[in-house]
Amino acid sequence: MNRSHKTIVYGAVEGLVDEAVFRVLVHLAGGAHGPVFGRHGKEYLRKNLAGYNLAAQTAPWVVLVDLDHDSDCPPPFRNSWLPNPSSSMCFRIVVREVEAWLLADRERIANYLGIPRRLVPSEPELVHDPKKLMIRLAMHSRHRRIRYEMVPHPGSGREVGPAYNSRLIEYVENKNRGWRPEIAARHSESLARCMHRLNNLLKQNIDNRTVIRSPEVAYY
Amino acid sequence: MVSRDKPPLVQRFTNVHLENWRNFRSVDVGLTRRVFLAGANASGKSNFLDVFRFLQGLVSVGGGFQAAIRKRGGISRLGCLVAKKNPEILIHVKTANKTSKGQWEYELQFTQNNRRKMPIIWSERVIRNGEQILNRPLDSDIADPERMTQTYLEQVNVNREYRALADFFRSIRYLHIIPEIVREPDRSGGRRNDPYGGDFLDQVAKTPPAIRKQHLTKIREALSVAIPQLKALEFWRDARGVPHLRGNYKHWKPIGVWQTEEQFSNGTLRLIGLLWAILDGNGPLILEEPELSLHSDVARHLPQMFAKVQQRTGRQFLISTHSNELLQDEGIGLNELLLLEPTPRGTTIRQAGDFAGIQAMIKGGTSLAEAALPRTRPPNAQQLALFGE
Repeated sequence: MNRSHKTIVYGAVEGLVDEAVFRVLVHLAGGAHGPVFGRHGKEYLRKNLAGYNLAAQTAPWVVLVDLDHDSDCPPPFRNSWLPNPSSSMCFRIVVREVEAWLLADRERIANYLGIPRRLVPSEPELVHDPKKLMIRLAMHSRHRRIRYEMVPHPGSGREVGPAYNSRLIEYVENKNRGWRPEIAARHSESLARCMHRLNNLLKQNIDNRTVIRSPEVAYY
Repeated sequence: MVSRDKPPLVQRFTNVHLENWRNFRSVDVGLTRRVFLAGANASGKSNFLDVFRFLQGLVSVGGGFQAAIRKRGGISRLGCLVAKKNPEILIHVKTANKTSKGQWEYELQFTQNNRRKMPIIWSERVIRNGEQILNRPLDSDIADPERMTQTYLEQVNVNREYRALADFFRSIRYLHIIPEIVREPDRSGGRRNDPYGGDFLDQVAKTPPAIRKQHLTKIREALSVAIPQLKALEFWRDARGVPHLRGNYKHWKPIGVWQTEEQFSNGTLRLIGLLWAILDGNGPLILEEPELSLHSDVARHLPQMFAKVQQRTGRQFLISTHSNELLQDEGIGLNELLLLEPTPRGTTIRQAGDFAGIQAMIKGGTSLAEAALPRTRPPNAQQLALFGE
């Protein structure tokens, strides 16, 4: 299908890595991503969620929120955040953080980080703190570069290294060596459901509605 | 792919101690490989960074101690405002590379000689790996006080033992591109190494063609993130031989439109200048407010870009900023952010990590921008709005 005839999907996410994941998933489902909103943490998303939901009455939207430890499982969380989603709102909960989705492609993440595959857990959704695990794994990397960029430096007082996000974004976007959502979905139910819903959303939009044409240069 | 490179042994500043330098009565501060400076307007960010330009000026071609002071309007202008009229100014820097053998210290103390009405050096010391190899005044300096009008560091015939240090100071780069000056170089008065970009195109022109092409290709690729419609970027001389940069923009015309730097947007020019400076050299790079004219989304990615460059090259970055977006970055260490606080006794500098409050907020999930920037906000900023009444 010609790019300019793809359905545009708007997004709202917590951070920059989530944004990259959103783009890849929309692309995989055959859509084109529109502007991405939020990206200033979870509370910011929550504050603006009502607005996103109203906008989703007229155009498809995907909102990705981390479950973290706010609840044991997604349904009660969803009800407290968005009891009445609009027809084109795809509100998806990531169990428990986007890092879990990235770890779910065990082979590729192990390769990318330069660690043995056996260190990557086979059920990433059960990992208590996926971000911490990602950093612990990066510490074991045989690549100096990964360690320098992803692991926090002594004295920095931060949870992540100086280029943690951009490293993960590169992993998400790298088509040849990076993340494969289809494979990862086999080990992460929340990801599988998200991809399924996104497919339905795009189908529904192509079947029932006007196709929104994307401007030629707009978004990559 | 990932593990190929060991970082080269690049020298960097690890500590700077100043007394009576401009806004600073006395500061002593550790420097990481990447340093962000935040503070209110006129708190002294540029004055702090000026120390490194001063050191560069000591050893640059056509520079030297007297010239560096003259350029700054003399000791009385250079001295701390809260100190006496012509105070003794002290600069003490420490540098290191990864090895135990690359540690240097340089100390320079100077003041105004009222009788001779010129700046004069009180003491100059060089320490290599803990061993003092120069300690002026020497006996010969005392015998001939004229010698104390120049540093040893700037003199090729005596600095052999510590030339590595002089070379390091010479490698310092400063950049604060002002797009209007790049477009109309006449405004900079034909200065060489003009940090405001007056000779930027000349510098590009002087770079060997193969390297220039390589740099411009890299810059074009990086720019494609911020300016996707820019399809080509190249060096070009007009009919009179004047150097230009020109870019091909793909709009609605299929073949695109060529524009020179005169038509580039401010943001495009600043980004090009910034990326060029990053590719050019590997000495410490001083950047003043690199976020200017950039979309907040572009500015937000600068810190991680700097981190990746220094992972590869080892280069040190010293960056002043007011940008909320830039300081949102989760990877900026609390030891990498220096906060400048003006006080009646001169400006003080502290690492963000020295504030228990900032540490606590970061632990609680607050962004570094939110935890630190309000502390640098001028107390009565809201009153500026009254000006409009």
